[in-house]
Amino acid sequence: MVKVTYVAADGTRTEVDAPPGSNVMQTALDNDVDGIVGECGGAMMCATCHCYVDEDWSDATGARRDGEDDMLDCAADEVRPNSRLSCQIRLTEGLDGLVVHLPEEQV
Amino acid sequence: MPLAPVDETVAIGDLVRDPYPIYRRMRAETPVVRVPAVKRTFLTKAAYTKMVKDDVVLFSSNDPTTPMEPAFRAHTLMRKDGEEHRRERMAMQKAFTPKVIKTNWAQLYRDITDRYLDRLPRGETVDLYSAICAPVSARILTHILGLDGASDEEMMRWSQQLIDGAGNFAWDPKLFEITDRANEEMDLHIAACAERLRADPDDSALSLMVNAADPIPWSQIVANIKIAIGGGINEPRDAMATILYGLLTNPDQLEEVRRQEAWAAAFEEGIRWVAPIQASSRLVMEDTVIGGIDIPKGDIVMSIQASANRDEDLFHEGEDFRVFRDKNPHQSFGTGPHHCAGAHIARRTVGEIMMPELFERFPDMRLPDPEAIVWHGFGFRGPLSMPVTLN
Ligand code: HEM
Ligand code: HEM
Ligand code: FES
Repeated sequence: MVKVTYVAADGTRTEVDAPPGSNVMQTALDNDVDGIVGECGGAMMCATCHCYVDEDWSDATGARRDGEDDMLDCAADEVRPNSRLSCQIRLTEGLDGLVVHLPEEQV
Repeated sequence: MPLAPVDETVAIGDLVRDPYPIYRRMRAETPVVRVPAVKRTFLTKAAYTKMVKDDVVLFSSNDPTTPMEPAFRAHTLMRKDGEEHRRERMAMQKAFTPKVIKTNWAQLYRDITDRYLDRLPRGETVDLYSAICAPVSARILTHILGLDGASDEEMMRWSQQLIDGAGNFAWDPKLFEITDRANEEMDLHIAACAERLRADPDDSALSLMVNAADPIPWSQIVANIKIAIGGGINEPRDAMATILYGLLTNPDQLEEVRRQEAWAAAFEEGIRWVAPIQASSRLVMEDTVIGGIDIPKGDIVMSIQASANRDEDLFHEGEDFRVFRDKNPHQSFGTGPHHCAGAHIARRTVGEIMMPELFERFPDMRLPDPEAIVWHGFGFRGPLSMPVTLN
């Protein structure tokens, strides 16, 4: 299993375990983590799964995928250099311990 | 696996009048069921409706046999999948972002709403559906798309005619003559607006598309604008009327919404309770199995979000309007690659601007006769009027 920590805008931390192969958006939904909507089911069409990857994990999560930049422009909250669409971050063993921060608004 | 059971008892008229008791029975007894009256296989559980829309390889939007193509005189993005779909959609998506609305247009939309509210008389009963819900939706969409110069009446008529044409499964030639005329009017107006926007660009969808470095073909620019006309007026109109009804018939909830300024939650609950677009059809590309039922290649499944939105697995007392739900994972904007392109706009304009302005202006408005409201529609659903006494 891969451990993922979600840090809500108010600082609340939620730690969950996910199977490798899932993604950061789906894992939040599967575990009732608030702050990620994921309305398009990971089709990269809604930008309601926006997250900020913790600085320590930006190398491990890698670059944005093709088309992700454009869709991030549609996010409700501020886009920063470490912004990602969480549905596009696939969980691998290498991401065990991953920390992501959630924006205040998703819609 | 068995084939889907067949439900001969359901008639289109029943679905148009009130599909909800039918869907509730189907969820309990036959969640995957063939309905000969509609020539479709109905999927009524949230897990199935979502699975189907998320998987465009197995369940395609590209059904060439629908009347959408003659109605729009185009193969539109709604009926495409894959790269071509993404390219056409992204060409206009950036005109529909929360940031564009917040920074450039929120004040304008407040002003538009105010202008229509100013015209309303006090102390009388007014049909807000035709006085506010429809024309304000039309006016705002005209700005978002870059179609300045089109009147509310034109926008509303084009929208309705496109919808009637796309729903013309009887292939009645008279209806296509009407859409042909509407298409000619729209083509002329869109071309004139494009010329203006080439000289003087703004943040509208049309401006973005015609001024792009690598534009999509003109035919698809026009098709995109028409899809947005067809999809961007009636749904916000119906959403707004439904939310009004929900709040005015539940005064305790209205009071709490006011106190917490929970207009966004009221918006989500309104469109969950009665989804403006109730169902979406998909063409089955390979033999498959849904919920233990064999679904043959070539079948058309209807993913019924109206029913998913009241699924007992996800919602407690889902038949009731309840703004203050713990979670509200409705599917009213669809899911998957065809997830509504206008979702952010609808949420911001209806939820954050139109509803609060209306209740601020007329804090004591009343719905004198809730029983008299007629609800209508199977593919698209909402009340047909909303006569409210203004104070
Ligand atoms: C409350 C209001 C609205 C609701 C409930 C709604 C609902 C939906 C739904 C369910 C779909 C998916 C159709 C499918 O799965 O085949 C859709 C698609 C679409 N909607 Fe909306 N809509 C609303 C407002 C708007 C507005 C204001 C616009 C225009 C600015 C818009 C533009 C579109 C477009 C362009 C598509 C096609 C997306 C694609 O195929 O990629 N909608 N809408
Ligand atoms: C935007 C322009 C659109 C137009 C003009 C249009 C028009 C229609 C209409 C009225 C029907 C209903 C025909 C029937 O019930 O047999 C139809 C087919 C269908 N489409 Fe669309 N639609 C549009 C977009 C959408 C969207 C966004 C959805 C989302 C699902 C949708 C849903 C339906 C439904 C419910 C049917 C039902 C018939 C069937 O199974 O194919 N329509 N199109
Ligand atoms: S879930 Fe929609 S973009 Fe990620």
